[in-house]
Amino acid sequence: MLDLLVIGAGLTGLFAAYTAARAGLHVRVIAHGAGATHWHAGTIDLLGYVENRDEAVANWTQALPELPPAHPYRLLGVDAIATALDAFQQFTVAAALPYVRPGTIMSLPAPSASEDESSQTRGQVEQIDNDNLGRNCQLISPVGAPRPVYLAPTAQQAGNLEDDRPLVIVGLEGMPEFYPALSAENLQKQGFYARTATLNLSPLLRRRDISPLQMARTLDKLDAQAQFTEMVADMAAPGERVGLPALLGMDAHTRLLTQLQEAVVDRGRDSAQHSDRRGTVLSVFEIPTLPPSVPGLRLDAALRIQLAGLGVRVEIGMEVCGFHATGRRIQWIETETGSRPLRHTARNYLLATGGILGGGIYADRCGRVKETVFDLPLTAPHARSHWLRPLFLDKRGHPIFQAGVSVNHHFRPLDQSGAPVYDNLWAAGSILAHTDPIRERSREGIAIATGYAAANGVIKSQ
Amino acid sequence: MKRMQTEILVIGGGATGTGVAWDAALRGFRTVLVEKRDLTHGTTGRYHGLLHSGARYVLKDPDSAVECISENRILRRTHTHCIEDTSGFFVVTPEDEDDYPDRFAAACRRLDVPCTEIPAASALRREPLLNPRISRVFELPDAAADSFLAAHATAQAARQAGATLLPYHELTRLHLSGGDGNRTLSGATILDTVSGEELHIDADLVINAAGAWSGHVAALADVEVKMILGKGVMLATNARLTNTVINRCKMPGDGDILVPIHTVTVIGTTDERVAEPEDLPIEQWEIDLMLTEGDKLVPGLSRTRILRAWAGVRPLYQETQLPGRPAQSENRAQSSKYPATKLPQDSRDATRALALLDHQQRDGLRGFITITGGKWTTFRLMAESAVDAACEQLGVSRPCRTADTPVPGVEQGHYWLGHRLNEVEDENLQSELVCECELVTRSMLEGAVQRNPTVTLDDLRRDVRLGMGPCQGGFCTYRAVGILHQLRAGNASSAAGEWNVAHMQSPAHHHRDSPTPEQQATASEPASVPTPQGDFRQRSAAVDPQAAVSQPNLLLRDFLQERWKGVAPILWGQQLRQERLDELIYLSILNADHLPVDDGESPLSSFYRSDSSISDLDR
Repeated sequence: MLDLLVIGAGLTGLFAAYTAARAGLHVRVIAHGAGATHWHAGTIDLLGYVENRDEAVANWTQALPELPPAHPYRLLGVDAIATALDAFQQFTVAAALPYVRPGTIMSLPAPSASEDESSQTRGQVEQIDNDNLGRNCQLISPVGAPRPVYLAPTAQQAGNLEDDRPLVIVGLEGMPEFYPALSAENLQKQGFYARTATLNLSPLLRRRDISPLQMARTLDKLDAQAQFTEMVADMAAPGERVGLPALLGMDAHTRLLTQLQEAVVDRGRDSAQHSDRRGTVLSVFEIPTLPPSVPGLRLDAALRIQLAGLGVRVEIGMEVCGFHATGRRIQWIETETGSRPLRHTARNYLLATGGILGGGIYADRCGRVKETVFDLPLTAPHARSHWLRPLFLDKRGHPIFQAGVSVNHHFRPLDQSGAPVYDNLWAAGSILAHTDPIRERSREGIAIATGYAAANGVIKSQ
Repeated sequence: MKRMQTEILVIGGGATGTGVAWDAALRGFRTVLVEKRDLTHGTTGRYHGLLHSGARYVLKDPDSAVECISENRILRRTHTHCIEDTSGFFVVTPEDEDDYPDRFAAACRRLDVPCTEIPAASALRREPLLNPRISRVFELPDAAADSFLAAHATAQAARQAGATLLPYHELTRLHLSGGDGNRTLSGATILDTVSGEELHIDADLVINAAGAWSGHVAALADVEVKMILGKGVMLATNARLTNTVINRCKMPGDGDILVPIHTVTVIGTTDERVAEPEDLPIEQWEIDLMLTEGDKLVPGLSRTRILRAWAGVRPLYQETQLPGRPAQSENRAQSSKYPATKLPQDSRDATRALALLDHQQRDGLRGFITITGGKWTTFRLMAESAVDAACEQLGVSRPCRTADTPVPGVEQGHYWLGHRLNEVEDENLQSELVCECELVTRSMLEGAVQRNPTVTLDDLRRDVRLGMGPCQGGFCTYRAVGILHQLRAGNASSAAGEWNVAHMQSPAHHHRDSPTPEQQATASEPASVPTPQGDFRQRSAAVDPQAAVSQPNLLLRDFLQERWKGVAPILWGQQLRQERLDELIYLSILNADHLPVDDGESPLSSFYRSDSSISDLDR
């Protein structure tokens, strides 16, 4: 019998499954579709903005008291969040996709001819430096706005706006997803030195209208990597950092990044500032693009590979159509199949189906807001006329997007009286109430921290 | 201050105004049109897209019905490519009165509106989603019309005939001279809303074709024109539910028309009297009523995904006896059903017939004509009546030619649903897709920017349907801003081309058929009619892509807000989820709410923020 059945294959569900499986639990993940990890920027946004303040959060540990008391972060506290992120960083190292605080000095693995990244030397990552605990940094958005981010993969490190090296933003001809001039102009308005360049891809590709994902797959090929590296190196002036749309390979990403880094740094070798006693200062970085997101797909793939290594099955295409509970215990859930419902039985269940975007919550025309698997009680605005504000970009966000499941400190969904609805059910991620992860820029932070906490709750209950 | 001189000045750039400019220019008048925002920004760009057969009004408003069927036949010749020949059904549902259908059929016969009763079973075979409980079906020559394209085609025809069209030029003052009994209107002061410059236009005659804004324009001439403004709310579904226009066979009411237009079906409309033309709140009850009524035509319509809601204002007019003056009977189309002294309280009861107000006869003001009322379907006839009256005031006799003069683009034949895909698959137009929903490519966008004044992304929406599909600007807003910004940063040669959007939404538009600016200039300027070309060139430069996108961050925000105000009233279910994805893109990935903005507001920002009323919050 399964110890834990996770419903939902986003960052929350997969990281919770990883956490539980590492602790020796027998875990499975089922999900209706691939998670929203595919859509986002592939960074770990922990807390970028709080209500009533225009400026970005500089250090989230200090901003937590400004969040409402029922906010998932307030349920966890700084230490629990930090522990979860530490565990996540260890996972990323194990998966050879290291995530660190931008600004951390790190060295890249030596380039390897092997296509298989997992055989490569694992990146050497600094452990969390306590002085820097909680400090956000700002990376560059596709339009050149600063994105408040806590952890980023190696490929996005050099986009750190705390760094004052000049930028060259490189676009690709025939790609409607990236406009270097717009990005550079906005960076200039904010006082950064940024210029633009455009790569002509005709030596690599025959067609125009190529998406970052197609390009990333093209760049998994060895010869394409070599040609592309040469083109990028030609663009870069000594001392510059090179920003490219996020498409630097999928499976063979690390190798391409290392090659690019070497080639760009080589050109600037004469100036000594580019090497450091502890490693290389990164000079090539990716800027996220519109969905689907190549960095998001890499993170998703890394999680799935690690889960497969732990014997955890991730089954997509499983829409829950019913469940059975006796008293306060869920006995099984059923998913839709072609012929008859398929029954899934487990000791514990973790609901990580996401909010309105992920499909965990459905809001209908009559103003009813429903949790889609267990029909759990929700905290939500009472009428449709209270869902939205007149301005799309209103800093306070739209109340409907804070709708969600209220939980206790153990991440057990609660009923109206404040008691857990089921003894063997946990909930984590964007399905939680009292937070709007997209407005706050806290999507991944909430996913990791609550997913980790819920998984540990399950582990302790065993 | 710049000055211009013209014979006829047209106020308003909707269907009527462009129609008047076209008609006047064809009759050889020097003509200038001013529109305070983009062409079709008013009611023309906010209606359901029905080319009426007139059948809807055969019993309630026979004058309007007669106008509609006659114009229906003409527009099929002059604006063929703007019309999809869908045909129309009038269906009797179980809720409709028993005696109406026979009276309806008799009235159609009487008014020469071609009406054929067909078996309900065969109608259901053609439109399987129709309510299976319909008992009778009449087929009539209704059709779907693209009012954006039609206005642009008319505008292009007007330009080719020598007219000058000035969008983003707002009327601020009408120049009156003379005392009682000899009052004359001699021109107007116009504000260029983009550059902020004033323009002084001397005109022999001013034609007020400002639609719902006609009362405001007339007030500038100290003339009272009391408009009855009937707000109509419409919804678009994310699929074409039928391929035929569907009407309920009953007295016209709320939510009883379905029009398949492009890839969507529009359900319309409500009719609520409002005080101001920009007073366009979309109330929840209106949405719910549309969906409930829609279910009676296509069961399950209320459960389909709704893309957007919008509201337009019908510029209805009913002449009333003005105090101290004898009642005028200048309006040849005035319905006898309503005594002239009694103003209908409900805008649903106001006539849809056109209203021509010759202010010389009516108010003793020379040089001023108001043309209002009417339907989109009758815009050409409205223009004809207005210019006929103008000829009379100016003491010349020049026959109207619009009924026999096709606008540019008709050679493409009727619009058909597959044209966009066909166009994109055509190798000549192959380039990056900017809007996957509406198949807008980079070359279409660049063409539109070069050929039209592009002050906001909303202008591009009207030109190429940018952001009108299921994601409502989710992916294309960012791309369009990026492309506009590139055009600005790029070569200046893209600026100041001839405006030529007549082919914009039709097969093979601007690449093959459009004449070069040189050819066009020669074709469009009859030597005898000196047009104020200098001013036109300057105008064109003032709205070139260089100037238009000086603030890309504002373009982005304004368009996001513009899309928001139409989706917010219908956000639930899957469309709410879609909107959350747009939030993920614009907040989380792009961080568009923390972009640097130089001076905070564009001249148009406030507009996009003003006319939304979607929420009880912050009211």
